[in-house]
Amino acid sequence: MDILYIAVNILVFLLLAPLFEGVIRKITARVQSRQGPPVIQPYYDLLKLLGKQNLSAGTVVFKFAPMLALASILGVIVFLPLGYQANYLTKYADVITIIYLLTLGGVSVLLGALSSRNTYAAIGSSREMITMIMVEPVLAMTFILGAVKVKSMGIAASISSVTAGGYGASVIVMMAAYLMALQAFVGRQPFDIAEAEVEILEGPFIEYSGPNYALFKYYLILKQMFYAALFVIVFIPPFKTGWYGADVLIQMAFVLVVFIGIALMGATHPRLRIDQAQKFYAVLIAASLAAVGLSVYGI
Amino acid sequence: MLTIEEVKTRLKNKYQSAVKKFEQPYGTRLYADIDKSKVREISNEIIGMGGRYLVSVGYDNIARDKTLGLIHAFSLDRDDIFVCLRTAAPVDNPTFDSITPDIPNAGWSEREYMDLLGMKFSGHPKPKRLILADDWPEGVYPLRKEVPWNLMPPPAENVAYQLDEAPEGCTTIPVGPFHPTLHEPAHFAVYVDGETIKGCDYRGFMVHRGLEKLCQTQLTYNEIPFVAERICGICGSVHATSYSQAVEMAAGFRISRRAEFIRTIMLEIERVHSHLLWLGVAGHLIGFDTIFMQAWRVREAIMWFGEKLTGNRKTYGMIVVGGVRRDISPELKDELLGILKTIEKELVTIHKAIVGDSSIHRRTKGVGRITTDETRLWSLVGPVARARGVDIDTRRDHPYAAYDEMRFDVPVVDSCDVWGTVVVRILETFEAIKIIRQALDTMPAGPTMTEFAEDIKPYQHAITAVEAPRGEVVHYLISGEENRPERWRVRAPTYPNLQGVPAMLLGDQFADLPIIIGSIDPCFSCTDRVVKVDIRSGRISNLTGGELETISRAKKLAGR
Amino acid sequence: MWLTSKIKQVLLVLRPGVVTLKYPFEPHPVAKNFRGHPSWDHHKCVGCGGCAAHCPARTIMIRDVCQDLRVMLYDGSRCTYCGRCADVCPEDAITMTEQFELATNDRNDITVSMELFMLTCQRCGRCYNMETTNMIDKMGLRGFRYDNLEARAVIPTATEHFDEKMLEESDRYQRPQK
Repeated sequence: MDILYIAVNILVFLLLAPLFEGVIRKITARVQSRQGPPVIQPYYDLLKLLGKQNLSAGTVVFKFAPMLALASILGVIVFLPLGYQANYLTKYADVITIIYLLTLGGVSVLLGALSSRNTYAAIGSSREMITMIMVEPVLAMTFILGAVKVKSMGIAASISSVTAGGYGASVIVMMAAYLMALQAFVGRQPFDIAEAEVEILEGPFIEYSGPNYALFKYYLILKQMFYAALFVIVFIPPFKTGWYGADVLIQMAFVLVVFIGIALMGATHPRLRIDQAQKFYAVLIAASLAAVGLSVYGI
Repeated sequence: MLTIEEVKTRLKNKYQSAVKKFEQPYGTRLYADIDKSKVREISNEIIGMGGRYLVSVGYDNIARDKTLGLIHAFSLDRDDIFVCLRTAAPVDNPTFDSITPDIPNAGWSEREYMDLLGMKFSGHPKPKRLILADDWPEGVYPLRKEVPWNLMPPPAENVAYQLDEAPEGCTTIPVGPFHPTLHEPAHFAVYVDGETIKGCDYRGFMVHRGLEKLCQTQLTYNEIPFVAERICGICGSVHATSYSQAVEMAAGFRISRRAEFIRTIMLEIERVHSHLLWLGVAGHLIGFDTIFMQAWRVREAIMWFGEKLTGNRKTYGMIVVGGVRRDISPELKDELLGILKTIEKELVTIHKAIVGDSSIHRRTKGVGRITTDETRLWSLVGPVARARGVDIDTRRDHPYAAYDEMRFDVPVVDSCDVWGTVVVRILETFEAIKIIRQALDTMPAGPTMTEFAEDIKPYQHAITAVEAPRGEVVHYLISGEENRPERWRVRAPTYPNLQGVPAMLLGDQFADLPIIIGSIDPCFSCTDRVVKVDIRSGRISNLTGGELETISRAKKLAGR
Repeated sequence: MWLTSKIKQVLLVLRPGVVTLKYPFEPHPVAKNFRGHPSWDHHKCVGCGGCAAHCPARTIMIRDVCQDLRVMLYDGSRCTYCGRCADVCPEDAITMTEQFELATNDRNDITVSMELFMLTCQRCGRCYNMETTNMIDKMGLRGFRYDNLEARAVIPTATEHFDEKMLEESDRYQRPQK
């Protein structure tokens, strides 16, 4: 049964992630008084990209980077206790693994970008790197907050125990920090700095096309769904119905709400500059550190 | 306040024989024939009187007295006077003193005539190729009369424009020739240290369509308004009006008052939609697409009105020499008033929604800074100058069409940054709405077209300036024989403003580059108009009527 | 400040709703005076050549094949839809239609050719005597002036087409056989 849950994890993410992306696009369109593309447009996009020819910028790294990125994000997803059920693999990893795997995804984007030797890709990857270094701590602190509470680095334990003691000050602060960092995690306005279309033309992905680009695109939309789902799993108290399927559905409903928030946020903000974003991230890191500090004292 | 007589006396007293002749065909225009050795001094003198450099016009006078003519045009904004310094140099040694060291904005004009007429400017700080394609042969000067308008020199391989050296320790980021920021082809080489811009070089004129040469050799007075309108997709009426006024001025001819009012209304309609368009584009450039869509949604109403009135959303084709083509009926007037009311209301909402938005301030305040003095030095125009405390507006300073009767404010702010241009443009839109209302109310009855009674005398000079949404458009026209201009020089507002961009970029972040370039509302095809070469296909030509007929009958074209 | 602006922005976007159209499926009618593809009414055309003389884009060509037959060719691929031809037409034979969806892969779809029988003038002179400002006179005036119809109407330029091929065609032009 535990092994089946892994399959559910993967399937739910693979199937629903493009749908949520479509939701974002539809909501953005509505905010802009447009018709917008159909909700299932991202599926079409992926299919179309997969059917196109690959144009390679040469090196082996360039070719394998998209696969590495997709593999690493799938690896993260596998460990996620979806529907409040730890699956067969969850106990073999701890929160450090998740952080490492997420970083691996980011690093493979950088590898792909740098191996293309494009000026815009270089700028994009330097911005991506800064973003990664500055917002990843918020994620780590979130896990550590739970780990401090249960004195364990296990995924299931630390994730489920963040809100276990009710919503203390530490949890509220952490939740706010996570929400603010969410736009940066998913790379949307005001923090889509690394891909900024009008200045550096999608930055790291400028040289990618066809199936390779499809893999990166899939990686990005899986990543944004992961961060949204993580928020739901960590900060929304469990509504356990006893039915696994129903639990997953309820969680997905919450994820949808988070996505609506992301879309609205993205549609009503201009992009920040990297130096302005850095200052913002610094505040977030400080806030999340403070939250962990508070939790040590049990607040 | 200086009068034209005072300017004359001052020049005459100071430079005596160097000033050969004054011509003053219409009240506010002064043409002075001067000695070429004194060009720089007299230019500085005019600047000292409070003059602002507009444009230089070079023309081919070889057939008549074996010289190349050069005109420096200045505007005395406070006194409503245009001063044009005309000089000439023999064709076998066409060397002039460069005025660029004192007036940096003349740099491009002078480079233009190095390329197109083979003039030489001693003391020019950057005598590089500006307009001609990289593989254009040396010694062929396309604007000279002997060069056919459809001349097509063979293409050459392995020639490229040499960009300026990057400063020590800087990386070069190419922005262009095709880049989403630019919307039109132009190449900026940006030198960055990390993400900070340390310098920039510009290579443009890639969509040079050779309109001036075409109009000087092929088209007639009445056809040029339609070409002039296509110089710019956004401010078409501005160019058509400016050109038509120049022809009317050269002919010494007045159009009906009603036509002038309709021209005013068309110009202001264009200002309303252009500023809304710019607001949208600016939003897009800082990654705020909602502003983009909402501003364009509001703008749509006036576009549909344009279609109803003129038959097209843009390129109205409304303004021709002698008046306008269509009249504004009472129903259309009511409809326009209604549309203005909605737009005003919506714009107030947009204005309120963005004016206090700190996230927009972060991207625009303190960005693209350039001081008021620098702005004057570079002779920047339009909202770019008005956002930096320079109080100029051609509509008020040199009234044309029906602007002498209109009451309006010229919004000027001195924040000296991109945010200032946002504010100026929004306020100007409200002023434009005000002007349209006044014009509709006070419009006299009368015909819309006035027909010419007699031929236009050749070799009459005329200079007109019209305030386009982006700034000031200057048209210089020398009338010619064969029912077409001898020389027609267009200076679009982007031409001076683009030259000031490197100064604005200096020290800013690379991420701010789109909005800084965007803040001047650049229109590269306006800037690229001048002479004759379609660079992409490398085709050029010029034939007289007779030759053309022979050749067409022989079914063979020169250079094919 | 930030929050109030955001609220205002949300209110701003809520009001209008969706304004874009599902364009090809949901056409938007054009205005009444729209300047679309020009159309010629051969019943009205007198073959004066005014349109060819005034077309700024030089897309209209008039050639006399013989004394009795005049051919008018219009190449829509270069037309700028300025409507100047309709303005100057003394007989109102040209109207600007509402057609604007003109994309095609066949040039002939937007090309018009018309042949006109020209009667030899019997020199009654009435057309010149009726009034001083009749349209034919007007076209010689400044506001409508042109230089040389023959030379001007066939200026081949700007694009590869129109020119030679069309000239050849008009040279070889033959009336359809009955």
